[in-house]
Amino acid sequence: MKMDRTIAPELKKIDSIDFVEPKVYPVNNKVNLYWMKEVPNETVRVELYFDGGTINGEKGISSFVNRLLLSGNSVTNSIKINHQIDLLGGFFESGITTEGSAMSVYALRENMPELLTFLKKYISEMDCQEKEVTEMVQDKKQKFQVNLQKTRFLAQREFQKRIFASDTKYSKIVTPDYYENVNRKKLQNFFAENYLNGLTKIAVVGNFEEKQIEDIIQLFQPWACTKDLQYISDIQNEAGNFHIEKGGAMQSALRVGRILFNKKHEDYHDFMILNTILGDYFGSRLMTNIREEKGYTYGIGSMVAEYNNFGYFMIGTEVGKEVKDNTLVEIKKEFEILQKELVQEEELGLVQNYLLGQLLKSADGAYSMMDLYLSAQVHDKDLNFYNEAIKHIQEITPKRIQELAQKYLNWEDMTIVSAG
Amino acid sequence: MIQFERFTLENGLRVLFHKDLTTPMVVVNTLYDVGARDESEEQTGFAHLFEHLMFGGSVNIPDFDAPLQKAGGESNAFTSNDITNYYNVLPKENIETALWLESDRMLSLAFTDKNLEVQRQVVIEEFKQRYLNQPYGDVWLELRPLCYQVHPYKWATIGKNIKHIEDAKMIDVRTFFAKHYHPGNAILCIAGNFELNEIKSLVDKYYKDIPQISKHTRNLSVEPEQTEYREKNLNRYVPADAFYFSFKMPERKSERYYTVDVLSDALGREKSSKLFIQLKKEKKLVSEISAYITGSADAGLLMVSGKLNSGVTFEEFETAFWDCISEFNQEQLSEVDMTKLLAKIRTSKEFQEQGLLNRAMNLSFFELLGDAEGINKELEEYQKISASNIQLEAKKILRKENCSLLRVLAKKTNENG
Repeated sequence: MKMDRTIAPELKKIDSIDFVEPKVYPVNNKVNLYWMKEVPNETVRVELYFDGGTINGEKGISSFVNRLLLSGNSVTNSIKINHQIDLLGGFFESGITTEGSAMSVYALRENMPELLTFLKKYISEMDCQEKEVTEMVQDKKQKFQVNLQKTRFLAQREFQKRIFASDTKYSKIVTPDYYENVNRKKLQNFFAENYLNGLTKIAVVGNFEEKQIEDIIQLFQPWACTKDLQYISDIQNEAGNFHIEKGGAMQSALRVGRILFNKKHEDYHDFMILNTILGDYFGSRLMTNIREEKGYTYGIGSMVAEYNNFGYFMIGTEVGKEVKDNTLVEIKKEFEILQKELVQEEELGLVQNYLLGQLLKSADGAYSMMDLYLSAQVHDKDLNFYNEAIKHIQEITPKRIQELAQKYLNWEDMTIVSAG
Repeated sequence: MIQFERFTLENGLRVLFHKDLTTPMVVVNTLYDVGARDESEEQTGFAHLFEHLMFGGSVNIPDFDAPLQKAGGESNAFTSNDITNYYNVLPKENIETALWLESDRMLSLAFTDKNLEVQRQVVIEEFKQRYLNQPYGDVWLELRPLCYQVHPYKWATIGKNIKHIEDAKMIDVRTFFAKHYHPGNAILCIAGNFELNEIKSLVDKYYKDIPQISKHTRNLSVEPEQTEYREKNLNRYVPADAFYFSFKMPERKSERYYTVDVLSDALGREKSSKLFIQLKKEKKLVSEISAYITGSADAGLLMVSGKLNSGVTFEEFETAFWDCISEFNQEQLSEVDMTKLLAKIRTSKEFQEQGLLNRAMNLSFFELLGDAEGINKELEEYQKISASNIQLEAKKILRKENCSLLRVLAKKTNENG
């Protein structure tokens, strides 16, 4: 019998997901190590989190220090350090966000203990050599100048200034003077304070023995932070339109957003469903309208960025210069439709299934599971948070989505930035 | 070791099945043996535009994405100069939805005018976003025709220029589909927690009735051996001077391929590599420098690219660069160097194969090269390489007559930045 290809196969719904808890070990009374063991291969990832975000220190010092971690000292220079990492087949990354910073080390199981011991020693002894500082500042300055040529960067920079308008630590943006007269002493102090005494968390994914985990704790315990870290919760964006002119640009980069909340807020789960409908998957309303119907852009999306005590909502896209204003009109229109009309069952059902499928994927394997766990842990939630998410996804109503759109998606609350 | 099973349907579809007991997801990956190299020079960018059209509905199903999302899944694709690869990741219970959608678009597309019109526009915006509205974004559009004179690698996947995309007609779309999108030109790889017989019967159910079409024979112009040094300058409003040295290297299936790959690592993959230490750390001529290979199926490129420090002239830098290369060619790598290079390769491979999607895509690609088992032999290939092999290759490849150099010269601008 010939199959009727117009009929979709039957679907199975996901009603529960196995979330796997990492093992938790205290490093001191403020800092924990989290460990996921179930990795079916030889890979190991060790992440160290620090109180080294951009809200700390003046004029770019936080990000300079983050780039200097492997720069060595007068006896062991960065070439020797990198050589040793490579010899052990390791990969080292460091990164920085507004409220924190991190180092990630990737290696095979057999090499990781030696690699960590080595890194611990030479990072501890790092003393911000003049030569290395000069080179790093010069490199960062060049990258900054290249970035200034990107409309996307210009828009994001202005957006940061406006979205965090009420707090100078959060709203400060890099300016060219950051790269002048960088003071070595200040770098050293920042490093001592925010790294050598600033470790806030360790996350290990890999098939180690218990003993090896204890060794890691021993090794990094001296860096563990003993302070109580405080973060602001009161912050306001500056609503309105802001434009950055960039001659010769072929596209305009757009950012539309407002201050919002994070996982700690009662509306969080349901807002994330609204956010998905609006702009967080390929079939979202914004993608359908702005890309698939009008062809204005290669991509458009919305997101919620989360901080320790708040969050912000943002839509981002790059569109043809000539359709910039139309795009903003259409985004506004999509807000209004969500406020005025109830989402149809068909669309809601699709988004519910989609979100459950994505959550299942986010819990697939030790690496994903650790990331998922940490993104709840940072807001003092455990894995039950995701069981709640499943419940919210299953029980959400069109009425509730409309209410949230009315409450949070008002055009007059938005910071609207264009660059191009 | 990545275990897999292989079977072929009567219509020529090659199927790989990789069993992973640990995952609740399934990956359905379809590789079509068509890329930008299969385009005619008058219609470039077509393979990639076509990839976009594949999401605009098939003969029996009006929309590709919605049913997949409804099944909890996600889909995407990419086009290279060699292949077009489509993948779906979804909960394993709903595998049939992916097979239903993928098999229907292998059968035939909806070919609506609206879809063509909009995707043309989307691709034009992609062209701007990635290549024209970025500092250094157009480098590859300029570099390819400098390196390749006859082989279709002389144009980028996005196309030679926007006009080719603007001019795309429905008749061209239909012809392209008929020629390249059929079972005999595809490799399907399914990865997930299933039994082989389940997979066999599911694949049979959805793919068996797709008619067989004979696979066309690829007959590409062969790039003649390069015998002269080539150079070109671009003047652009960018903040720093940049350089792109491109050396011709053997095709993917050549036994020399892996040796050249390691050679490029030794030259400039990491911060302990030759070029990085000499030209950045010691001579302070560049802010960044790295070496890598394009990894293409036909004869590819070993690249060395980076940016000059402000105040450094190209002349000064290039003298130092070629000195460094000639030193590299004279000196055999030490045992420690070899250990280091292999250690990095082992770690990278293990991490790459950590992901289910990567495993499915790599199996498909190795099958295209001739045998999916190649994925498990790769490490052995690398381990066979000796320092003297590398030196031999370095002398063959790192020569001026085998090199094309593109310079991007920073023009001063009055605007901020």
